[in-house]
Amino acid sequence: MDQHGKILTGLGALCGVAWIIAAIHPLDRQAWILENILLIIFVVALLLTHRRLQFSKAAYVCLAAFVLLHIIGAHYTYAQMPVGLWAKEYFQLSRNHYDRLAHAAFGFLLAFPVRELLLRFSGTTRIWSYWLTLITILSVSGLFEIIEAVVAEMVAPGKGVAWLGGQGDEWDAQNDMIAAMVGTIIMMTMVAISEWRTRSR
Amino acid sequence: MNRAYARFSDNGPLQLLVGSYAILWILLAIKPVDRGDWFLENLLVFATILVVLLTYHKFQFSNLTYTLLGLFLALHAIGAHYTYAKVPAGFWLQDWFHLNRNHFDRIIHFGFGLFLFYPVYELLHRAGGVRGGWLSWLALAAIVAMSSFFEILEGFIAQIVRPDLGTAYLGTQGDIWDAQKDMIAAVVGGILAALTVAVVRRQRA
Repeated sequence: MDQHGKILTGLGALCGVAWIIAAIHPLDRQAWILENILLIIFVVALLLTHRRLQFSKAAYVCLAAFVLLHIIGAHYTYAQMPVGLWAKEYFQLSRNHYDRLAHAAFGFLLAFPVRELLLRFSGTTRIWSYWLTLITILSVSGLFEIIEAVVAEMVAPGKGVAWLGGQGDEWDAQNDMIAAMVGTIIMMTMVAISEWRTRSR
Repeated sequence: MNRAYARFSDNGPLQLLVGSYAILWILLAIKPVDRGDWFLENLLVFATILVVLLTYHKFQFSNLTYTLLGLFLALHAIGAHYTYAKVPAGFWLQDWFHLNRNHFDRIIHFGFGLFLFYPVYELLHRAGGVRGGWLSWLALAAIVAMSSFFEILEGFIAQIVRPDLGTAYLGTQGDIWDAQKDMIAAVVGGILAALTVAVVRRQRA
């Protein structure tokens, strides 16, 4: 097995083990199932397209890191994630912000593989690829907020943002999307600086 | 330089479009229902027109795109005149269909997706170099992203202008899922436009 394959197998095994541990006694089985629907679609899509897409090693590390964050969040229904609870106490925050961290991580970690795909397959230029990555992340984040609202109305009709996902924040959707945007902008800035330094070397 | 598109001085349809929009805009700028709200609603219009003007010598859109932009901006000018919540056409719909609110703003979100899909499509194709099946998906993503970004801006403005009112601020008219519904309207408009573009391209091919 080549180095690329070894890293990929290692990351897959790590996520698999973490998923199995998190699947045992999650805090709320129903919430855990809901959170895992999108994860399973995401992982199956990655597996099915794996041969054609062939992401770089760095991109696979980003993807695995995001999957791990989500596995941990889903186990604790996000709202009860211990580190988030600790931060809430320590910094006297209004809510457990672990979910917001995951939204920022979504932007930060997925921007890298998304840009890689766009550069390789869409035919776009380097400059435009930064914009198109931001557009892709923000649109997926927006779609996620739509799905979350639809699910909230199905699971807890009339309760609105008091439901788990929102934790009572009436600007929850907007704040989640801002987090994803900021995460993307940080990653794209880092990529731009590193590419600029490589090319001016 | 090989110019695929006519200069402004030779482009009669574009002159007519700009002229009629200017007249409509000026008429609706006279005594709007709420001057402060009218100004707020027009900030993004000024920004859009400024960008299109300043980039005109470098990049000209097709007349179809300018027409679509003009139609969208005309609808928006009507909405801004009446603070959206008080557009007469919205009240007629409210009475006819027994709705709980004036839905004119949602029509504009739908119109945003419907009218702006093709301009974005053209920009990504001609300036961004995007090709093939990616074009429709990325143009649609851009529509959803801009719609999401608008909801973020609306959230900021609501918190600055009336922090006491929260989401009950004018823009949302008391609907807790207002942001999500606005975005759905834009997605649906965008999908309809994408399908139209696909059908027209297939017939021409």
